[in-house]
Amino acid sequence: MLFRRIYQFMIVYAVFLAILLMVKKGLSLSDYVIPGLPLILETAVQMSAGFFTDVMDTLSVAILGQGISIFLAFFVGILGRKSSWAGSMIRVTAYNIQAYPIVALAPIIFILLGDGFLSRLLIAAMICYFPLLLSVLGVMAAPVEDIEHFYIATGRMRWQLEVKIRAFENLSKLTTVIAGSATLAMAGTIVAEFIAANAGIGYSIRIALYQSNLAAILTALFMIGIVISVYQGILETLGEMVKAKWGSENKGKLL
Amino acid sequence: MKHAKILGPVLGLIVCICIAGVSDSRAEQISLNYRLKWLFNTSVAGDIFAMEKGFFAAAGLDVTVKEGSPEKDAIKELELGYADFGVASADQVIRALDKGADVVVLAQIFQTNPMQWIYRDDQKQINRLSDLKGCRMGITYGGNDETIMKTMLAKAGLTLKDVQVTGVRFDFTPFLKKQVTLWPVYRNSQGVILAGQLAKEGESVRFFNPADFGVDFVANSVVTSGKMAAGHPDLVRQFLSALLDAWGAAMDPANQEQVLAAVKKYDKGTQGEVQKAQLDATRDLVKPHPDTAVGQIRRKAWAQTEAIMLEQGMIKQPVHVTSRLRDLASFQ
Repeated sequence: MLFRRIYQFMIVYAVFLAILLMVKKGLSLSDYVIPGLPLILETAVQMSAGFFTDVMDTLSVAILGQGISIFLAFFVGILGRKSSWAGSMIRVTAYNIQAYPIVALAPIIFILLGDGFLSRLLIAAMICYFPLLLSVLGVMAAPVEDIEHFYIATGRMRWQLEVKIRAFENLSKLTTVIAGSATLAMAGTIVAEFIAANAGIGYSIRIALYQSNLAAILTALFMIGIVISVYQGILETLGEMVKAKWGSENKGKLL
Repeated sequence: MKHAKILGPVLGLIVCICIAGVSDSRAEQISLNYRLKWLFNTSVAGDIFAMEKGFFAAAGLDVTVKEGSPEKDAIKELELGYADFGVASADQVIRALDKGADVVVLAQIFQTNPMQWIYRDDQKQINRLSDLKGCRMGITYGGNDETIMKTMLAKAGLTLKDVQVTGVRFDFTPFLKKQVTLWPVYRNSQGVILAGQLAKEGESVRFFNPADFGVDFVANSVVTSGKMAAGHPDLVRQFLSALLDAWGAAMDPANQEQVLAAVKKYDKGTQGEVQKAQLDATRDLVKPHPDTAVGQIRRKAWAQTEAIMLEQGMIKQPVHVTSRLRDLASFQ
């Protein structure tokens, strides 16, 4: 899973780069518009180490942000799963808040919290949180009637059991969404850094943009792609392990 | 009734002739795209005035003036064919030349770089570059101001370690909270707004202008591609002549009300008083002396800008930018 992720990314990046270079050649563009391969390689050699540190910095914030958003999404999802008035209210509030573009809220966050770690973390968590919440709400609000009916009829149903049944029956969906949200967390952190932070790969991309240095941006994109591929690959592998464990001999015991 | 019968077709004919006339005059105009460096505001008053008061149309040109932003690079657009003329900063021009772009400079709009540092009047006055030692200053990493500040510090025998640097973002809070002493601003836009805000609090400000200390880093200039300059000199002359005439008229205090009205159409969010102050500040930068010709290219400043960038490793080898400077006379 992990290696497949990496080489798939390498193929996509190589195709993207090849298209860029073909456009450059076809339109006879200078290195200022689209850098040539020698310039890209030279820049990569010069900047890779620094960019790798920046990407790891960004990833650490993204992981933390994703963790917070997973916790919050499950917390709100479990609270809002009921078809009661309160549950409905929580769902409506969550959907409405989602309508606000985070990029528009970001300047306010930076003014209130400064341009350091907290702002990046909050924006990463917010961008990652809403899609997760929608999935969790969808899963938690949909009864698995075949199974739940038995526990309800025998009077053994508790809320913890209800949550477990619904999570277990939608395990594949939940693990896919959690793995997918890693990209969102990373993108959220990069957006935050690009807008106003003082560290991370988004910040480095902004500087490169100021200097019209597309070679540096391409190097940064490569670094981001590799790191996010590895991270997502790890999450998917973990997801498979969890599914395998819950889906075989232990099935039912966890309930 | 009889008259009405005749009048109808005659009026119809007149309307047709008028429409045809308009179509013909439009067809004769040459369509061009002109990409600015930043959003529509008072600092591009001349460009707005050219568009609004028909300077381009009078020259037989149908020019679409487009707003700029950090993501929109006029030099790249020239090469890609999205723009025919544009505004770029000197460092953009020099970087582009370093990477093989074919760009020429037609006019230097700002004779004094608007990028300056604002500081409170009650702070230690910067009389010598060595006075910067220990200052808490803002710098936009990757921006022009970083290059300029590093150059000034080097001239004073200092480095960034001798000052306390804060990365600058879009909000002025660190400066307003006095966490930073020197804050980089565009003298004729943010500088005016900040000075106004502080004046309301009873505070007065000064501006630290690098040019006063011998660091003459060129700012916005009008550019086009070498291909356009060589292939269509008449068109370049028409465009440049119209643009510089418009800038000249826009900077004439006698036209102030008309200029402000034109700017207001495009920049509705800024208050009239602020725009007036911004126009005054822009006038000082574009035409610092009554005898300064609008758009004149100061070759010495360009050479110094290149030398600074070379010294700081921002370009790999000399690009001989002075060989890429043209002016209106070159196209006569």
